[in-house]
Amino acid sequence: MGYVLGIDIGSAYSKGIALGDQGTVDSSVCPSGGDLKLTAERVKEELSFRNGISAHDIMRTVATGYGARSVIFADEVRSDVACHAKGVSSLLPTVKTVIDVGDLYTKVLRIDRNGGVHNFLLSGKCAGGSGRILQVIARVLRVKVEEIGEMSLKSKKRVDFNTGCAVFSESEAISRISEGVTKEDLLAGLHRALAAQINSLVERIGVEPDVAMVGGGARDLGLVKALEEIRGHAILVPAEPHLTAALGAAIIGREQLKKKIES
Amino acid sequence: MAEEVKEVKPKKRMTATRAAASIGPMVKEFITSTLQARAEGRQKLAYTFIVCHHEEILRAMDVIPIWTENFAGICGAKRDAERFLQRAESLGLSRSLCTYALCGIGFDQWREELGQMPPDAPWGGQARPDFMISSGQIICDPRSKWYQASQQFMPDVPIYNIDLPYPLFQRDQDHRDVWDYYHKYIVKQLRGLVAFLEEQTGKKMDYDRLRELVDLSDRTWNLIDETYKLRRAVPCPMGTGDAMNTMVPINFMMATEKAYDFFVDLKKELEEKIARGEGEVENERYRLMWGGGLPAWYALNDFNYFNSKGASFPVETTYRMVAPLNEMDIPETRDPIEHLAWRWLGYWTFWYDKAKKRPGSEPDVERLINWIEEYKIDGVVMHEAFSCRSWHVGLIWQLHQLAKIYKPIPIYVMGKDGKREKVYRELPSLILESDIIDITSYSEVDTRNKIDAFIETLESIRANRAA
Ligand code: SF4
Repeated sequence: MGYVLGIDIGSAYSKGIALGDQGTVDSSVCPSGGDLKLTAERVKEELSFRNGISAHDIMRTVATGYGARSVIFADEVRSDVACHAKGVSSLLPTVKTVIDVGDLYTKVLRIDRNGGVHNFLLSGKCAGGSGRILQVIARVLRVKVEEIGEMSLKSKKRVDFNTGCAVFSESEAISRISEGVTKEDLLAGLHRALAAQINSLVERIGVEPDVAMVGGGARDLGLVKALEEIRGHAILVPAEPHLTAALGAAIIGREQLKKKIES
Repeated sequence: MAEEVKEVKPKKRMTATRAAASIGPMVKEFITSTLQARAEGRQKLAYTFIVCHHEEILRAMDVIPIWTENFAGICGAKRDAERFLQRAESLGLSRSLCTYALCGIGFDQWREELGQMPPDAPWGGQARPDFMISSGQIICDPRSKWYQASQQFMPDVPIYNIDLPYPLFQRDQDHRDVWDYYHKYIVKQLRGLVAFLEEQTGKKMDYDRLRELVDLSDRTWNLIDETYKLRRAVPCPMGTGDAMNTMVPINFMMATEKAYDFFVDLKKELEEKIARGEGEVENERYRLMWGGGLPAWYALNDFNYFNSKGASFPVETTYRMVAPLNEMDIPETRDPIEHLAWRWLGYWTFWYDKAKKRPGSEPDVERLINWIEEYKIDGVVMHEAFSCRSWHVGLIWQLHQLAKIYKPIPIYVMGKDGKREKVYRELPSLILESDIIDITSYSEVDTRNKIDAFIETLESIRANRAA
């Protein structure tokens, strides 16, 4: 049937998945940057080049995410809510509640095992409660964002972080560090504050187990653990949680293609 | 003073009915008429608030109401509120207060400072009042504080406050056990208003005229109810987008022949559309309820966006400030003031008895449930406008209760063994977040992404719905 591409242009990172007849062939991730059209092209080219996929092998492209409309070569644009649901249900079919911690928003989705969305809720308009705060703090502490999860788990005395605001958290972090608080304790406090905000969103929509966390934020083990602690139950995380929307987009594309061929 | 910049003009919203399209000029006309009345000085002008059941009294005394919420809404709809909001902020008022109030206070301060209307004031501007009638109402404190703030710039303009309470819902208590007490109190408040107006205008209240105006309003209430119930038709002939226009005669023109005639025409228009099978949208796929929240006045085009996806809004809880009088269990009286007080109590307690019959229900939730059934609703949309607590507190809670107590939708999913399996899902809901007039709180891209995702959710349920 050829290849189907799923491309998720997020506000911080852009992700792509190439889906072949036997499943995922390859994935690609790069910073979104300022020129989203160019980024989309770059994701496509990388997937094509690495896997020897020619233009006419690509049967369908489905775009999603904040910059989905910049993927001008896409056959269809789908909401990231629908794509996450599809992607997660294909990887973790028992999941009924999905928490997507992205750079701009946190979303909570109630889904079924077929990837149908039954309800969803997005965090408010500001970046508080989203994954943006993790990047801000990583910059302040001069550590890599990938490292902060492990670091926070080493905390001995978690500090109470007073703010959920992405802007104020920066100044609060600076003043705490100057008071002599360790990076580990500070990060543990930040994770706790962020998890509490995410939890209030989760409570607003209601939870049905199993629960999964996806999006860039789910790569942060410290955040996952903090939310597990607050909620008192395990949270499933797929192997590459930042790719579920791109995967879902590709699966939607494949399903459409199949339907077209069958009809 | 902050920089005063005007915002980009919005595209005109497409209306589904002729009646809704006629509202713009009508509002413009009554704004202009207040300015003319100010210039002529023959009639007294009063700043005041909607939903106070006092229009009949004002009109019987020939007092012209200036609906300050309406003017702020106009500034918002014309995307020209920001300069007035900034002015209020620079006076030390926080942006988290009611933005209608901020806009009005900013405008008043500017007009009083200049001694004339601010430059390019929307539709000529808001006329200076002779007095202000505020109204303490449950949790809307701007209704009593707003005019006090404006009075700083107009110290010669008196304020009269009317207090209009109603018994809160209590499952284990019949509101009728206490409402005589409330009634007595409200009658006193309204009689106090009459006395204040008599003093201000130098005229005596003509109670026969008041009775006629109250009768006219009652007839209009019933007519509106009948007209809006026509929207139960499939396809729906008129949606919430239009209802955000037709709220004008309900909320700003009550007790006038014009409002009554407007609904005579609208009813006829809807009946004709129903006879022709003509809906708000060409191919109606989803029927949604606007389940709460004042609209983002600068973004009414979002209703057109919903329409473009096949979604129609046959019903809304917002601004439907009337209920059928024949279904209200209120005592008969020929005293118009006493009747106004009973009507007030009848309106606010309208859903109490029904809510008591359903375990876990409350009046607001009961209204949602009844209308979901009567209007065959597929999903609920709410708007949380950050600056107005009064209308928005409890919206999320209402959705929670709805999910808890209302019957779920049966749908099919593919089970583990590859066989179809029946599961149940709650009615989908969407919460939009921004403000009534503060455009800086709104993102069109985000809002439309949310709408897209919601439509996909509705479609997924529709596609898998079990009989
Ligand atoms: S707080 Fe809400 S109800 Fe009160 S005046 Fe403002 S917009 Fe109106």
